[in-house]
Amino acid sequence: MRVVIAEDLALLRDGLTRLLRDNEIEVVAAVADGESLVREVLALRPDLAVVDVRLPPGYRDEGLRAALEVRRQLPGTAVLVISQYVEPTYAEELLADRAGGVGYLLKDRIMHVTDFLEAVRRVADGGTALDPEVVAQLFSRRRHDEPLERLTPREREVLAMMAEGRSNGGIAEALVLSIGAVEKHVQSILSKLDLPQSSSDHRRVLAVLTYLQSGE
Amino acid sequence: MTTLARTLTDRVTYRRLAYLLLEVPLGTIWFTVLVTLWSLGFGLIVTPFVIPSAIALAFATKWCTAIDAEFARSLLGVDAHVPAISIAGRGWRERMHSLFGPGFWRAQTYLWTRWLVGFPAGVLMLALVGFPISLIVEPLWVPFVHGGANFYGLHIHTFLQALAFVPVGVVLLPLSVAAARPLGGAIIPLTGRLLRAGNEPWQAAAGGAGFGVAGSARAGLALAGPTRRGLVAHAAVDGVLTAVLLTIWAATSLGATSLEYFWPIWPILPFAAALGMHAWVYSVRHNPELARRFHGSVSLAGSSGVAAIFWLFTACIWAVSGGGYFWPIWTLLGFAIVVAVHAAVVLLASPRQLVERIESLTASRAGAVDVQDSELRRIERDLHDGAQARLVALGMSLGMAEQKLADDPERAGELLAEARAGAEAALKELRDLARGIHPPVLTDRGLEAAITSLANATHMHVALSVDVPQRPPATVESAAYFVVAEALANAAKHSGSDWLDIRIATVARHLELEIKDDGHGGANPDGGGLVGLRHRVEALDGTLEITSPAGGPTTIYAELPCV
Repeated sequence: MRVVIAEDLALLRDGLTRLLRDNEIEVVAAVADGESLVREVLALRPDLAVVDVRLPPGYRDEGLRAALEVRRQLPGTAVLVISQYVEPTYAEELLADRAGGVGYLLKDRIMHVTDFLEAVRRVADGGTALDPEVVAQLFSRRRHDEPLERLTPREREVLAMMAEGRSNGGIAEALVLSIGAVEKHVQSILSKLDLPQSSSDHRRVLAVLTYLQSGE
Repeated sequence: MTTLARTLTDRVTYRRLAYLLLEVPLGTIWFTVLVTLWSLGFGLIVTPFVIPSAIALAFATKWCTAIDAEFARSLLGVDAHVPAISIAGRGWRERMHSLFGPGFWRAQTYLWTRWLVGFPAGVLMLALVGFPISLIVEPLWVPFVHGGANFYGLHIHTFLQALAFVPVGVVLLPLSVAAARPLGGAIIPLTGRLLRAGNEPWQAAAGGAGFGVAGSARAGLALAGPTRRGLVAHAAVDGVLTAVLLTIWAATSLGATSLEYFWPIWPILPFAAALGMHAWVYSVRHNPELARRFHGSVSLAGSSGVAAIFWLFTACIWAVSGGGYFWPIWTLLGFAIVVAVHAAVVLLASPRQLVERIESLTASRAGAVDVQDSELRRIERDLHDGAQARLVALGMSLGMAEQKLADDPERAGELLAEARAGAEAALKELRDLARGIHPPVLTDRGLEAAITSLANATHMHVALSVDVPQRPPATVESAAYFVVAEALANAAKHSGSDWLDIRIATVARHLELEIKDDGHGGANPDGGGLVGLRHRVEALDGTLEITSPAGGPTTIYAELPCV
C-alpha cells in the first residue's frame, strides 16, 4: 500500500511515517501543507492520503479542503482525515460525494495501533472509518427519536459500529460475538429503522448515516 | 427666596421649560398627523387603500412617540421606552399583530394623552413666559406704533408708560420661569407610566422599535430600525398603488376631449412623503457617515430629514392647490423651531453623553479585563490539575514499564496500556479545555455549525434559527457563541426545562440573540456566569438583558454591534 501523509507538526509527521513503515505500509511522501498534498497526490497517485485537518497557512481547515480537492481532482483516492477534535459537519462534508474510501478519526485513535492500522486498510480498500466520537454526536442528535429508542442496548452498540464503518466481522471481533449473532442484530436493526438491505459495507454506512443525520 | 434662587439656577428648570414650550409645536404636529391619518383611514375603509394608510398610521404613531420620547428622555430625564410597533412576523396575522398590538395602543394612548394634557400645559407656559417678556420689551416698540398697546383694558401709549411696566415684567419673569419646574414635573409621571419599559419584551426584542439616543443602547428596544426588506416592500406597494391610480385616471380621461383634472396627485403626494421619510430613516440607520454630519446624532439626522420632507410635502400641497398665500411658511417655522431645539438639546447633551460614554467604557473595559483574568486563572488551574498531572502519571507508568521490561514483560505490558489510557485521558481533557477557550469549528464554519455542535452535546431539545447572511467579526461571533453556551449550560442545570429556543439574526449591523426556555425562571442576573457574560458582551459595546421572573420563563437577549 502506498500512502501520502500531510501533517504540519514534524513530530507527528515523523511518528506517523515510522508507525506506518513499521507495519509494511509504504509512505511515498510526507508533506506539511495542503497545496503540496494535492500536488504530491496528483503526481504519485497513492492508495491513501492521510491528512491533518488543521494545516498552514491559516491553521483552520486547510487540510480538510485539500482532502476534498484531492477527491474532486482524482476521484477514487481514499482519504483518511485526522484531527485533534471532530465535528459531524466535517464528516458530512467528507461523505457528501458518497464515493467511499473516507476516514475521519481523532488523532487519539492512532495510539490504538492495531485498530488504527485496520482503519487505514479499510479506508484504502474503499471502506469507511468514522470516529466513535462523531457517531456518538450523531446519535445524540436523534436521542429523542422513537425508532432509535426501540433498539436494544446491544443493537445500539452494533448500530454505532455500523456507522463507524466496521464490517460484520469487525463488529463481531470488537464485541466478542459470533458473526452469526452480529448478522442477526444487523437484520433486526435494519428492519426496525426501515433501512434497505445492502451488500456493501460502505453503502450500509451511508444508509445508517443518512438516517442519523436526518434527525434534528 | 432661596428656593426661588435655587430653582432659577438649576438647569433642570430650563430643561423643563424648553420641554413645555416645545410641546406647542410638537403637539400640533402630532395632532395634525394623527387626525389626518385616522380620518384618512376611516375615509378609505371600504377601499384597498385602507391598508397602506393603516400601515402609515402605525409607523407615524411609532415615530411620533419615538421623537417625543427622545425629548422626554433628554429634557425631563424620564426613562422612556418606545412601545414595540413593527411589521415583523410570519404571515399577515402575525404582522398585523406586530403593527396593531398592545404597543400601538399604548403609543396612541400616550400621544392623545400628551395632546390633552401636554399641549394645554405648553400653551399655559407660553402665556406665563410670554406676558412678562412682552412687558419688558414694550418700551422698544410702543412709541413707534400708532395706538400703543392694550393690556386687558389698560392702555399704554407712551414710552414712559411702557417703561413703568418693565419692573412688573422683570419681577414676573423669574416667577413664570420657576413655574416650569412643577408644571414640567407634573408631566413626568405621565410619560414615565405610559412609556415604561419591558411590558412586552418579546415583541420588542423580535421586532425592534427604532430610535434610541445615539450610542445609548437600550436593550430589547433595539436599535433595529427599518429593514431593507421593509423599505423595498413599502416602495413596491406604493409603486403598485400609484400605477393603479394612474391607470384609473387615464382610463377615465380617455374619452374626454381634454385631460381630466389630475386628481391622483392627492394620494401620490402622501405616498411619496411617507416613502421619503422611510427611506431617510433607513439611510440614517444604515449609514453612520450620514449621522456624523449631524453631530453624530442618529436621532437628529432622522428628525431633520423627516422634518424637511414633511415641509416639502406641505409646500407641494400648497403648489398643487393653486398657490396663493404661502401658508407653508408657518409649517417651515414650526419645523425649524423643533429641529433647532432638537439640535440644541443634542449639542448641549453631547459633552454629558461623552462623559457617560467614557464612564461606561471604563467600566466595561475593567469588566473585560476581570473576565479575561479569571478565565486565564481557570485555564491554568485546569491544566495544572488535569493534563499536567496526567502527563506526570503517564511518565511514571512509562518509567516503571521500562524498568520491568527485562524481568516482568507482562507487568510492563500492563503499565504500557495504563500509560496509553492516561495519554488518551489527557488528550480528551486538553481537547475540552481548548474548546472552552475557543471552539475550532466556530472559526472554520461559523456560528450555526458551532452552536449545532453545542446543542448536540446536551440533553435539551434545541430549536435553533440562525439568520446571519454575512459572518460577523470573530470577536462578536465568539461572544455570541459563549452567550449561547452559558445560557445552554444554565438552562440545562437550573431551569427545569428541557426545551430551548435560540434565535440569532443580524439586524441593522447588530447581531441579536434571543434564548428562551420554558422553565421555572428565577435566574439571578448577578450570578457568576451571567455577570461574566455581561462583561464579555459589554466589552464589545453590546448589551445583555436577562428576564427571569419567578415562575418563568427565562429569556436572555443580547445585542452586539458588528463593526
